[in-house]
Amino acid sequence: MSFRVLVVPEDPRNNGYILDPLVVRILAECGKPNARVTVLTNPRAQGYEHAKQLLKDQVLAIYSHQDLVLFLPDADGKDRSQAFEELAAVADQTAVDLLCCAAVQEVETWLLAGHTEKLDRPWSEVRNDVSVKENVFIPFLERYGDPKRAGGGRDILMKETLGNYRGLTDRCPELRELENRIRQLIESLTTL
Amino acid sequence: MGSLNLFLGTNASGKSNFFDALRVLQGIGYGFTVDEVLNGKPKTANSDIWEQIRGGSSRATFVDKSAERTDTVEGVIRFRVKLSSGGSGEVFDYGIGISAAQGCVREEHLSADGQEIYDSRNLSNDISQPYFQVKYYRGTVGRQPHFSFEKSKPVLHQILQKSEIEVEDRESVKICIRALSNTQRIDPSPSVLREYSSAQSWVRRMGEHGENFAALVKTILRNSVNRDRYLSWLKQLTPIEFEDVVILSGAVGEPLFALREGGIDYPAPVLSDGTLRFAAIAAAFFQEDMPDILTIEEIENGIHASRLRLLVELLKTQTQSSLDWTQVMATTHSPVVLAWLEDKDYKTTFYCKRDEQTGASTITPLSKIPKFHEILAKQPISDLFAEGWLEATL
Repeated sequence: MSFRVLVVPEDPRNNGYILDPLVVRILAECGKPNARVTVLTNPRAQGYEHAKQLLKDQVLAIYSHQDLVLFLPDADGKDRSQAFEELAAVADQTAVDLLCCAAVQEVETWLLAGHTEKLDRPWSEVRNDVSVKENVFIPFLERYGDPKRAGGGRDILMKETLGNYRGLTDRCPELRELENRIRQLIESLTTL
Repeated sequence: MGSLNLFLGTNASGKSNFFDALRVLQGIGYGFTVDEVLNGKPKTANSDIWEQIRGGSSRATFVDKSAERTDTVEGVIRFRVKLSSGGSGEVFDYGIGISAAQGCVREEHLSADGQEIYDSRNLSNDISQPYFQVKYYRGTVGRQPHFSFEKSKPVLHQILQKSEIEVEDRESVKICIRALSNTQRIDPSPSVLREYSSAQSWVRRMGEHGENFAALVKTILRNSVNRDRYLSWLKQLTPIEFEDVVILSGAVGEPLFALREGGIDYPAPVLSDGTLRFAAIAAAFFQEDMPDILTIEEIENGIHASRLRLLVELLKTQTQSSLDWTQVMATTHSPVVLAWLEDKDYKTTFYCKRDEQTGASTITPLSKIPKFHEILAKQPISDLFAEGWLEATL
């Protein structure tokens, strides 16, 4: 049976086009090339606080059949570690393997990490911009995306980013850390 | 109205009446007689079959249930639209009143950017007269000639035959005709989508039930940019990754739609209803000959609830580009479709309700429903719709 992973984004409307292929690739790196990845759309999360509440109230209980639940919100310049610990405690009670990783500063940064040569700002500045979506990503998408494609072209741009996966994890170390945590989890499940 | 317009309401609330009204205007744009518009027209060498409006002329006139007496013989059905088309920038105000019982025009007017072109409303057009008169407003200075026309047909087409019409007005009339007539209704039927297309060459527009769907997809695939765009939508639809859309050929080269997965071609006859309907609706947005208005009834039919997000995204993105003039008018009964709307969409999401006493339907934008936004903060719109709150509050 495929390794089943549920991805919980802050907002699945557009984040799904970035997170779905990203998580598929991370799992492939961790030895699960046929993992079945689902981005949560129902209940539909609408923002960080709402997504967090949904996880606590419903998602962890409803989706306990998943092998892994990933919560991948925006960091938005904040330290999410305490909130993630609280969620981990709830997950423990429901016997769900939950890993949380906040995108610094927004999920769109992970897509932009593969297109640094097209950005007119240094990468460190892009990565630290808490409004990177409005300030960098939307103008970038208008220029390099395609409004006639699904996701406005996010899918093809993310595919290009994943073409240099090592470059992506170098520029976004939280993803390398996430990959390591997933690998350790899979190894521990295999050992059991 | 907006680029994407959704119509909600219970059964028999008037949604389809609105779509019928658009069809009447389309028939007028085609230059049909009033009788042909309402009662249908057989296929000819130059035109396809035109199906009658539901109920035909005998049931076209509104009957007020609360009125003590109804007089449908004298009843005039009025239509009035504001139109803009193809980026000309002009806004046209066109109105027509027809007598379904008599099969004739009772009043008609057209203006462009507030300047009258023709109008019948100040003239006494007695129904017993064999002709119908309008005043043309741009004749020689000081004179406003009256023109007489055959009363069974709208003036819109007939006025083009008059040599006295100025070039500018002639162009305005043509733009108006195009705006009214360039409507496409699609209601893809899986059984039709599973067939070989009869057209073997390129197809610029699909038929109402999906006729020539495979030939249209073949036309889309020949353009590599549109091919990638079209595929990007289909690839989001199915959980199993397929490699490509392919067009198979029948014995004499007739095209058949197929999806390729793992090197195996799965032809349309074995694909699911939902996959085919979504593929057809998506294909409608990549037609070389796009309509000004695209109407789709019950958009969710056959499509899995988890994929309705994608359908809403398709409809919204394909109508939002500044390069697109196509307006989509669609009906839905699905709370899931509503769940994927945003605040800005509520201005062009309409609730239809039939007045129990009179039988008249009203169409109200959700944004104009009292306390709508206040209630929305407490309860998701999908719940409000499913529980009948929208129906009860209006």
